[in-house]
Amino acid sequence: MAYQSPLEALAESTRRQIFEKLRHGPLPVGKIADHVPVSRPAVSQHLKVLQQAGLVRQHRVGTRHLYSIDLNGLAEVRSYFEQFWDDVLAAFQAKANQEKK
Amino acid sequence: MTPIEPIRKSVTIRRTPAEAFELFTNSINEWWPLRTHSTSKERAVRVVVEPGPGGRVYELRDDGQEIVWGAILKWEPPNYFSMTWHPGRGEETAQTLELRFVANGNSTSIELEHSGWEKLADGAIEARNDYDGGWDGVLKACSDWCIEK
Repeated sequence: MAYQSPLEALAESTRRQIFEKLRHGPLPVGKIADHVPVSRPAVSQHLKVLQQAGLVRQHRVGTRHLYSIDLNGLAEVRSYFEQFWDDVLAAFQAKANQEKK
Repeated sequence: MTPIEPIRKSVTIRRTPAEAFELFTNSINEWWPLRTHSTSKERAVRVVVEPGPGGRVYELRDDGQEIVWGAILKWEPPNYFSMTWHPGRGEETAQTLELRFVANGNSTSIELEHSGWEKLADGAIEARNDYDGGWDGVLKACSDWCIEK
């Protein structure tokens, strides 16, 4: 699966719902599936994308697999936006300086 | 949780603050790299910045859907505006974006500040009492991050 940026990963409304459920604390897949209008395998697939975007992490408690917001991922999201704003401001600067010599 | 340092960026352009402010907001479609810097990429048609407090900033998709990026908080042309920032996310995770347009001789410096990183994880922090195990790792991730800053 291709890596998706946090912005793209969250552009999908079901994934956004899942991400927001997890803001209130860690949950197992089954619990998440209770709150969103898609099947459990679909939820797992969405969680995978969120994990790859650095937004969600998985961990084990006994025999249970829990998903939670990835605080390390915050660093990744932040550095994604470092680059994002560099690009945006570079485009802005190029446009501004091109028309007025 | 200790606040995470905002992202700060700046560029200088050969324009007056008023021109810079206009280009950044009203004429945003002349330069914003929409194909790469939007939630719907090649399906994004344009960005709309509604001027004034409460104005929405959104991207328009080719099927007519509006994807909100945030809303204007303070609107003080030609020197400053701020807005909430939650593209592709719920409003409750909104961060803050501030833009300053500072005259600098014949040029203008545009200073961007993107803050509110801890907002993305607030819920996770508040829910620590419900966290049955595994919390150590999360706290460690948090303290690593705070120390790093």
